[in-house]
Amino acid sequence: MTDLDQHIVAPARLILMTTLTPVTEADFATVRGVLDVSDSVLSKHVGALEDAGYVKRRKGTLSGRRTTWLSLTPQGRRALSVHVAALRELISGVE
Amino acid sequence: MENNKEVPTPEEAAAALSEAAAARSALVGAIGAPSGFFVLLGAAIAVHLAAVAAGFARGETVLIACGVVIFLVVAVVLLVRFRRANGVALGAFTSRVVLGTGALASVSYAAGLALAIWAGYAGVTWLIVVASVLGGAGYAVGGLRWLRSYRRRPEVLGQDRPAWEVLLVVAVTGLGLVLLLLQH
Repeated sequence: MTDLDQHIVAPARLILMTTLTPVTEADFATVRGVLDVSDSVLSKHVGALEDAGYVKRRKGTLSGRRTTWLSLTPQGRRALSVHVAALRELISGVE
Repeated sequence: MENNKEVPTPEEAAAALSEAAAARSALVGAIGAPSGFFVLLGAAIAVHLAAVAAGFARGETVLIACGVVIFLVVAVVLLVRFRRANGVALGAFTSRVVLGTGALASVSYAAGLALAIWAGYAGVTWLIVVASVLGGAGYAVGGLRWLRSYRRRPEVLGQDRPAWEVLLVVAVTGLGLVLLLLQH
């Protein structure tokens, strides 16, 4: 059975990474709104995924205000794909 | 990848996947073009095509350059508006919709440009206008269709095209225009 990725096993991190898959990058506030978490909680998860090399942070601006742009790294996309496959294996093992 | 330390139950795994998919759908569902986006895009392409065709017909490279600049300025403005409205940057949207590498946009642009240039050389001014407007309309409709398809399959259509592929399309288009210009 494919190993689950411990960096992504927390549901909030899986949601965060999945949310970033269909875009090149997303504004921090936009992602926070989708996840419905506080700034500090999101920052913590982003920091952990950044340390794992799965998410990239970049300072930028949006509508004249400073913001942080989040994106998945190629390594992150691959890791997410493997992790999702592992979860599906886990589910199908019961069905 | 670390060894398994925390293994969710199958029910937890299913719930996690479902929640993640729902979040992604929520983000994608909220992505939309700002008001007037496709009208402006279509109009910019129409003006671009007309300027380029007129420039070829009159041998005025300044007109051709103006046509290119008009499009580029409008493209940048539209992309900034898109980014502000949605809080995301979408490379696939930039290449497929704004730069017209999507199928319908490419065909509309090429056909509109070819007909407009021919009309320019033939001195049929009304046909330049018609060809340009139709080219612009097809370009805009192509973009609108892409966006609707993206909302249905974001995991596939959201993948950025390689930069070299986009540059190749732009380079081939530019080369075609230069060759046409040199021939006359």
